[in-house]
Order: sequence, then structure tokens, then C-alpha cells
Amino acid sequence: MRNEERGRWFVIPSLVLLSLVTVYPLIYVIYLSLQRRLLIFDVSRFVGIDNYVSLAGDARFLNAFKNTLYFTALSVTLELALGLAAAVLINRSFRLKGLVRAVVLIPWAIPTVVSARMWEWIYNTDFGILNHLIGAKINWLGSPFWAINAAVFMDVWKTTPFVVILLTAGLQVIPRELYQAARVDGAGRWAVFTRIVLPLLKPVILVVLIFRTLDAFRVFDAIYVLTGGGPANSTETLSIYAYKVLFQTLRFGYGSTLAVVVFLCTGAISVFYIRLLSKGVRL
Amino acid sequence: MREGTRTYAWSAAPGWMVSALLLLVLLSLLGGCVSKKEPAGDGVTTIVFKHGKIAGDPALLRRLIETFEARNPDIRVKDETLPASTDEQHQFYVINLEGKSRDFDVLSMDVIWVPEFAKTGWLRDLSHLLPEGERDEFFPGPMQAVTYRGALYAVPWYIDAGLLYYRKDLLDKYGLKPPQTWQELVKTARYVTEKEPGLYGFIWQGKQYEGLVCNVLEYFWSNGGDVLKNGKVVINSPENVEALRFMTDLIGRYGVTPRLVVTAIEEPTRHIFGSGRALFMRNWPYAWNIFQREDSPVRGKVGVSRLPSFPGKPSASTLGGWQLGVNRYSRNPEAAERFVRFLTSAEAQKTLALTIGYKPTRRPLYRDPDLIAQQPFIASLHDVFMTARPRPVTPYYMLMTQVMQSEFSAALSGTKSPEDALKSAQEQIEQMLGAE
Repeated sequence: MRNEERGRWFVIPSLVLLSLVTVYPLIYVIYLSLQRRLLIFDVSRFVGIDNYVSLAGDARFLNAFKNTLYFTALSVTLELALGLAAAVLINRSFRLKGLVRAVVLIPWAIPTVVSARMWEWIYNTDFGILNHLIGAKINWLGSPFWAINAAVFMDVWKTTPFVVILLTAGLQVIPRELYQAARVDGAGRWAVFTRIVLPLLKPVILVVLIFRTLDAFRVFDAIYVLTGGGPANSTETLSIYAYKVLFQTLRFGYGSTLAVVVFLCTGAISVFYIRLLSKGVRL
Repeated sequence: MREGTRTYAWSAAPGWMVSALLLLVLLSLLGGCVSKKEPAGDGVTTIVFKHGKIAGDPALLRRLIETFEARNPDIRVKDETLPASTDEQHQFYVINLEGKSRDFDVLSMDVIWVPEFAKTGWLRDLSHLLPEGERDEFFPGPMQAVTYRGALYAVPWYIDAGLLYYRKDLLDKYGLKPPQTWQELVKTARYVTEKEPGLYGFIWQGKQYEGLVCNVLEYFWSNGGDVLKNGKVVINSPENVEALRFMTDLIGRYGVTPRLVVTAIEEPTRHIFGSGRALFMRNWPYAWNIFQREDSPVRGKVGVSRLPSFPGKPSASTLGGWQLGVNRYSRNPEAAERFVRFLTSAEAQKTLALTIGYKPTRRPLYRDPDLIAQQPFIASLHDVFMTARPRPVTPYYMLMTQVMQSEFSAALSGTKSPEDALKSAQEQIEQMLGAE
């Protein structure tokens, strides 16, 4: 018991540090979100949940929310599907396996802002390699429909390697004997994949999903550099909208409300996945 | 302790003692981050100058600073560069000035920020720096932009304004003149692009960002429209609807502007024009120097004029450029003011114009023989800068521009009609400005 008591004392410094750098700002943002605070009008007063109520009537917020959901759902789905396929392929033994794995990692290793600038050129109507390759003159970033999908595609290109690496690690833990035993029992490739690989990979898949969903939901830098949220707000995500409200128009109250909404959503997503994960592991 | 385990001094100490010790270390580390070093008491004051990236060699600015330091041995200047993006510079200032930061003394500001920073009380009143008589030396646009409630909160450092670049060689080839009206521009562009396949007619900046607002306002103003008049929002006017419709028509109906402008900022348009693939371009003065380089395909083939206007209305350029102000919380305001005074002096402005190409805000320099010899077109810029108009001079500009950027972009990308976009902009801006 004495050891446990000592342990409790030892935890205190890190708790203090964590509360200084995360809990305090979080509480302050929540406090700000209950204020009408417009720096430029010199207004600062408590308004309760007014800011949250006005979210419902803010067309730009609803649009940003819709864009964020679309971006998150599509990019995470594609990344998982492609990542899984690539991981299974890479996991076989073949020549130059190490080289292929290293090459796969390249997009992930490029800093986000650099790759966004790169894609801006790739998507360029006139000089872009994409139009050159497909022999078209599509204005990828200039049309609201293409722009958001172009952003999704960029994200898929960039973060699928991350998914591949995690899933490959998961695959390598699966014992060879299991495959052999399944073969002996007459299972085909598909059956091996769905009955053995997928269930055993489930914890890793869930971890991948947590990381990717949270990242995609809070996406800021990649899209901000690529399109700045345009055209016509068609690529404006919640984080970009919150940034503009906070730091460009100095509406600290409402901007904090947006930040809290992002926080609540990511919190809900985490809880959802963690529940799923803990169930999965205990199976 | 079990036998064989080494005993450390701390493992015998009570838990609370170790914990308290760790906390003490932690807090003193945090304290160390916050505490400020006091300047050494050798009579030398150090001031910090924050500015965006200097176009060209940073050593040029450094040399200018050294001149200042040589003349003011009691002052040292540390110049610190901010991120290249204007938005990020704004964010930096907002966070630090709202936090009453004393870490910098002199700041360079985009022309649209001064009223905002003045109203929030972040800037020192600099009215005494420029005597009334000397103010007439400056262009009226920037002076208007740095004045808030009758007081001067910054000194104009260098100036920018929208210009029309044209291919002199191609116009000469077909016996045409630079257009005076927007309609003439359409006619000329259609005529020449028909004869010259692969050539774009007219390119400008249409991405959803501040530059889009600069572009659109030039059409509004050159049609007699405006955004704010005597404190009232007048963006939804027939003149503005007509002007915005004309811009969408440039892309759609007239087909003289390629759809790519909807994603374009300054540099992509400069690349296209600079590679000889466009007849007309709207851009800032910086592009001129690049077109005159040895390896430029359009070297010697480019002309510059003021922007066209709608028939019977005066041409209008959006004013850009940077201003120098002094942080209200500065510990050394006098030294900071001396530095601002020096950097905005005719002498420093001339040096910057000759080396980097920054256009002076003091009008007499446009008759300077050295400058004219090096940049013959500078004299013609004088008239453009004289009529350059600041974007609405109001502390609420940053609120307004967020709405304008998204609504203008909606009109250009075709998701809204110009009528709907301006109606919506009017409502949103009115609502924001009435938000108390």
C-alpha cells in the first residue's frame, strides 16, 4: 500500500503540467464560448448558450460542418480500403520488398504544406500534370464540386502510407501457422482474408480509424494552403472557419464556440471508437 | 528494500517531498520561459522591428538598418521576419498585441489593418511624427488609410496599386491602343485572341482571398459603386451588380478570361503573362521588374497603364502597400519613432526603390532623376497612385472582407448569381456591423 501512496504523489507533477497546458486552455475556451466577445467593438459580456443557439442559423457553419463530414467520411473510407489492399500486397514476400515499403512512405514524409503547394500545381488547369496526363482542361480547384474532391484525393495520397504501415505491422503479428491451418481445412484466399486476417487485424484497424478520423475531422493546413476554403466556401472545413472567425475577424466568443464544437465532435468520435475497440479486444 | 537492490537517496525520501521538488523544478522552468532579460545598462537601447519577408535580398534592408544605427549609436535594431503569408502576419499581431506583448517595438502593417489596430488601442499615436506640411508629400490614399479619428497611427512605407499590363508588341501589330474602358478591353482581347491562337485575353486574381476583393472593388469603383458610404453599407447597388456581372461575363459570355482565374493569385497570373501567354493582366507593380529581366520572354514587350473603367466613369485602382507603426506597449517608444521616421524618410525610400523596387509613398521621389533613369515607367505610376483608393477605411474591415471574399467567390464560380451574392453580402455585413 505504501508503494501505491508514493505512486500517487509521483503522479501529481505530471497532472499539474497537463492541467496547465491542456485543461486550463480548454476551460478557458469553453468560458470564452459563453461570451459575446468582439474585440473590435470592445464588447465582452456573458451570453450563456446564445453562441451555440446561433450556430443553427449560421449557413456558413452548416456548410463547413457538411464539408467536414464529407471530407472525413470519404477520405477515411478510401484510405482504409486502399491501405488495407496495399498492406496485404506488401506483406507477401517478394524481391525488393524493403525498397517498396520505403517508397510507399514518401508521401507521408513530405510536410503537409509542401505537399499542398505541390498539389496546387498538379491541379493547375494550365500547367498541371494531372490535366496533361488525362488530356483534359478541368479546373480542379475552381469548381466547387471538384475542389472538395481534389482535397480528398490529396489527403488520400498523403495519408494512405500511414495506414499501410500500421496495417502491415498488424499483419506481421498474425502467425503463419494460422494461414497454413486454414489452407489445410480447405479455406480459399477470400475466406482466409475475411475469417482470419480481418478479425485479427480489427484492433489495428480501429486504431487506424481513430487516428485518421480525428485528423481528417480537424483538417486545416492541407486545405487552407490548397484552396483557402474556396471557391465559394466549398472546401471550408470547421477548423478553417473557426480560424477565420478567431484570427481574421477577431470574434473570440463565437470562434471559441466553433472550436468547442470541433472538440465535442472529436471527443464523441474517440469515445465511439474506444468503445468499439474495447469490445473488439475482449471478444 | 529487498536485498540486492541498490538504494537511491530519493527512494528513501517521503513521496510528497519528491513530488514537491519536481513541482518546484517544473514551475521554475516555466518561470524561466516567461521572465524577461533586462537590457544591459550600457546606455544602448535595443528595439525590435517585425516585418514580412522582404522581396529580394534581405541584406539590403540590413544595410539600411546599419546606416540608421551608425547615425544613432544609442539604438540597436533587431529585425525579425514574420511568415510570408499576410494572414499569418495578421494573426501574429492579433495574438501578441491582444496579449500586450512588449517583444517588438516597430511593426509593418498591411494597409487594411491600421484602423483595426488603432481602434483596439494597440498602436501609438504618431501624429507628432509628421508635421502638417510634410503630410502633403505623401499620396492621399495611404494617408487616408493610416488616419483614424483624425490621428495618425502609422506612416506609409511603400505603396502598391492595381495596374493593367498589356503586350505592347501585339497591340502594335494590330494597330490597337491600350483600352480606356472595360468594353474596349473585351473588344481588343477578342480581336487579338482570335488571330493569335493559344493566347489568353485577360487574366486577373479570382481565388477566394483578399486579392479577390482588391480586384472586384476596382470594377465597383470604376462603375461609380462603393461598399461603405458615410458608415452605411451600400454594397448591394445596381452599379455593383452590373460590375460583378461584367466580371462573370468576362469568363462566361465574352470568354476573354480563362476559368483558371477563379483559383489564381498574383504569382500564377504573373507566370502566364510572363511566359507570353496572355494579352492583358491585372497585377501589382512588382511584376514589372521581373518582366524586364534578361531571361524574360516578354522583356521589352510589356506596357503598363491604369485600369480601364466603365464608360463615363473614372478609373480606379485598389491601394495596397505597407505602413510602419509603433507598438503601444513598447518600452522604447522614442527610439522606435526615430526608426520609423528614418525608414519612411525620402532617403530610405529611395534606397528601397532602387534596390528592391518598393514604390515610395513620398510623391517628390517620382521626379527623382536616379529613379527615373533606372525605372522609366515610375513617373507614369505617379498618376495611378494618386487616384488609388483604399479599401473601406474602417476598423471593421476584416469582418467585411470575410463576407466579401466568400460572396464574390460564389458569384465567380457560378454558385450564386451576382444579384444574390451582393444581396447576401449586404445582409451579412449589416448584421455584423450591427452586432453589439
